[in-house]
Amino acid sequence: MNGGALTRREAVARFAALPAFSSLLRAQRAPQLRGEPPGRIAPLDELVNTHEFEPSARRKLASAVYETVAETARDGFDRITFRPRMMVNTLALDLTTELFGRSMFAPILVGPIARQKQFHADGEAAMAAGAAGAKAVMALADRSDVPVERIAERAAAGFWGQVYMSGDGAAALARVRRMTAAGCSAVVVTVNPGPGTGRRLNWGFFKRVRDAVSAPLILKGVMDAELAHAAVERGADGIVVSNHGGRSGAAAAQPIGVLPAIAGALAGRAPILIDGGFRRGGDVLKALALGASAVLVCRPAVWGLAAYGAAGARTAIELMQTELARDMAMCGAVNIAAIRPEHVRIHRRAPGE
Amino acid sequence: MRERPAGKIEQSWRRSPSRRAALGSLAGFLLGSPDLFAQQDPFRDHSRVPGLDELLTAFDFEEVAYAKLPRAAYNYTAHGGAGEFTVRRNREAFQWAAIRPKSSAKAAVVDASTEVLGTKMQFPIMAAPSAAHVALHPSKELGSYSGCTAAAGTPMIVSYATSTPFEEIAAAGGGPLWYQLYPREKLEDNRPRLERAQAAGCKAVVVTIDQQAAYYDRSAHDRNLSSRRRRPSVRPGVKPQNPYRFTSTRLWYEWKLFDGLRPMVRTPLLAKGILTPEDALLCIEHGLDGIVVSNHGGRGLDYSPSSLEVLPEIVDAVGGRIPVLIDSGFRRGGDVLKALALGAKAVCLGRVPRWGLASFGAAGVQRALEIVQAELVLAMKQAGCPTLAAADRSLVRLDLP
Ligand SMILES: Cc1cc2nc3c(=O)[nH]c(=O)nc-3n(C[C@H](O)[C@H](O)[C@H](O)COP(=O)(O)O)c2cc1C
Repeated sequence: MNGGALTRREAVARFAALPAFSSLLRAQRAPQLRGEPPGRIAPLDELVNTHEFEPSARRKLASAVYETVAETARDGFDRITFRPRMMVNTLALDLTTELFGRSMFAPILVGPIARQKQFHADGEAAMAAGAAGAKAVMALADRSDVPVERIAERAAAGFWGQVYMSGDGAAALARVRRMTAAGCSAVVVTVNPGPGTGRRLNWGFFKRVRDAVSAPLILKGVMDAELAHAAVERGADGIVVSNHGGRSGAAAAQPIGVLPAIAGALAGRAPILIDGGFRRGGDVLKALALGASAVLVCRPAVWGLAAYGAAGARTAIELMQTELARDMAMCGAVNIAAIRPEHVRIHRRAPGE
Repeated sequence: MRERPAGKIEQSWRRSPSRRAALGSLAGFLLGSPDLFAQQDPFRDHSRVPGLDELLTAFDFEEVAYAKLPRAAYNYTAHGGAGEFTVRRNREAFQWAAIRPKSSAKAAVVDASTEVLGTKMQFPIMAAPSAAHVALHPSKELGSYSGCTAAAGTPMIVSYATSTPFEEIAAAGGGPLWYQLYPREKLEDNRPRLERAQAAGCKAVVVTIDQQAAYYDRSAHDRNLSSRRRRPSVRPGVKPQNPYRFTSTRLWYEWKLFDGLRPMVRTPLLAKGILTPEDALLCIEHGLDGIVVSNHGGRGLDYSPSSLEVLPEIVDAVGGRIPVLIDSGFRRGGDVLKALALGAKAVCLGRVPRWGLASFGAAGVQRALEIVQAELVLAMKQAGCPTLAAADRSLVRLDLP
């Protein structure tokens, strides 16, 4: 990612070498020091965008754990530019988002991320506190390290519960019931995306969840219009366009790239959420312009959690909210409803292609 | 002419901005010793800075400016919005427009002169308004103005954020001056500045209407490294205007502003910062005499399109009713010719004269402009265009992404 002449790491390494600045010592020193001084993590209040959280997390995490949250391909965003409209009064700028009959502070949620004690000792409890601090809804993953009841206490802006389709579904259904009993305001059923998912899908399980919960039911892992249709026909209240953070391979389609076709096919019949590579407020604005109602943010929140705990997760989300607000003002969109497809242009090629 | 899509420094920022450079300068700063400082910096460890007569392209001035300026001042000129996608795209866009010479016949003599809204110019090139030249050179805007004037009377657009009063610049005498306004919310607050500029002889007024809520990662880093460390969007002691933790004095912008400004302005009135045909038409509707297609040199909304890629559709919408000017990313005479062929009446240069001023004062401004002018003449000769009228759309093959 950082292809600059003077890398930050080099700079910091040189900085760290200051105490040894006698010319004699300098002469003896290896000509080039590489790498951040061990353990050096930038203070949270120096970070100005979510990209910068990643190196901090990398330094904090064991490499095998870090690999699971390393940055993914996100050039799909580079194929979309804005068509900013000038002279639109945005003094009443408002990011309030209505979703499933509830009001959210902004169209940004913390996505479901499994086993968060890998990233921070307090795991999902800290993440919930961070999300609450940023007034964001948190989606609690099926495989979480903290009981849902403890999350419910902390998630001041509300939480959703995610579950995997598996087996005959009895155990999964029990987990759904426990989450709804704890107060989750929506249930997310995740499918592993792949070709023909719609046909292979365990719709029996989906139906049982549908019958069991009155909360909004959302199918996550949709990457084509066919599955989006099928989900809505079978009673889904919404979908999440997602390829699980691109973990099935860098060459896989990116959610932002398939969003327009899916939005076109659903034609407003159900709200569309999306995740995958959202790092900037502008990324969120693009998704909203192309038909999404809200965005799930995962890696930036994890990077923040890993390096700085709840405060880090909160700051990562808040930075994206602020960027979104600013970009909306600069595009001439005073509120979420004012964001239109005409605010973006999709290009055939990304830069350099 | 050798195409050079980006200068070394632009290249060095190709991916992400700034922490590293900022930290590099921090390291050097703490060391204090010039000897050590030289070693912190990939450019400063050269034993000499090249002389003015060794600089062959406008890009070369950026490197000298980089070597001479404090890092924060260099960064202020260089930076763009957020991740600087648009800064990079502004340069890449020129690769999407190829000049197809009209015929094998080269033009022997070239006349590049033009007139825009009553301002005559020898070349269709102007100095864009840019803030606070005091950070670049002790001669400030006076140095810029005398450099512009020496370069075939290049018209200069004086920024609202000038560090030298407009009257003082005008009193120095020279080429045409325009005035750029950042509008104030209370209509009457605009009158005194407009009056002063007009009384001092400005030939046109340009109202900049973009950048309602811009943010710069690079300057945030520069601030982080100063004693006034703070978050980019929150100023100490200032109560945020909205729940989204930022403050802006420009969210009130509305088209009806121009209905109010029009009677205050006796010269032609232009709007700068147009990126869509829809807004170009609204400019005509609101009585503007011209527009500047601009993304503010990539300093506004990141992921704005390059100004060149939206120029043709805007020119089509305007249909010749008012002149269309353009800026953002122009560095070479060939760049200028491409925009003219696509229908722009003139091109404004923002960073080029700033680099010139920072490098060698007025002489640097003059030379940097003269290089671009000479490149334009050469490009016109090679393309077989004796005059600007001959530079029409058939001169350029566009392959937009
Ligand atoms: C350091 C700097 C300061 C600027 N200040 C102003 C300003 O005060 N008013 C304005 O309308 N535009 C300002 N601009 C934008 C320029 O007028 C112009 O749109 C832009 O620089 C053109 O892009 P270029 O730098 O790639 O040539 C500034 C640009 C720079 C680089």
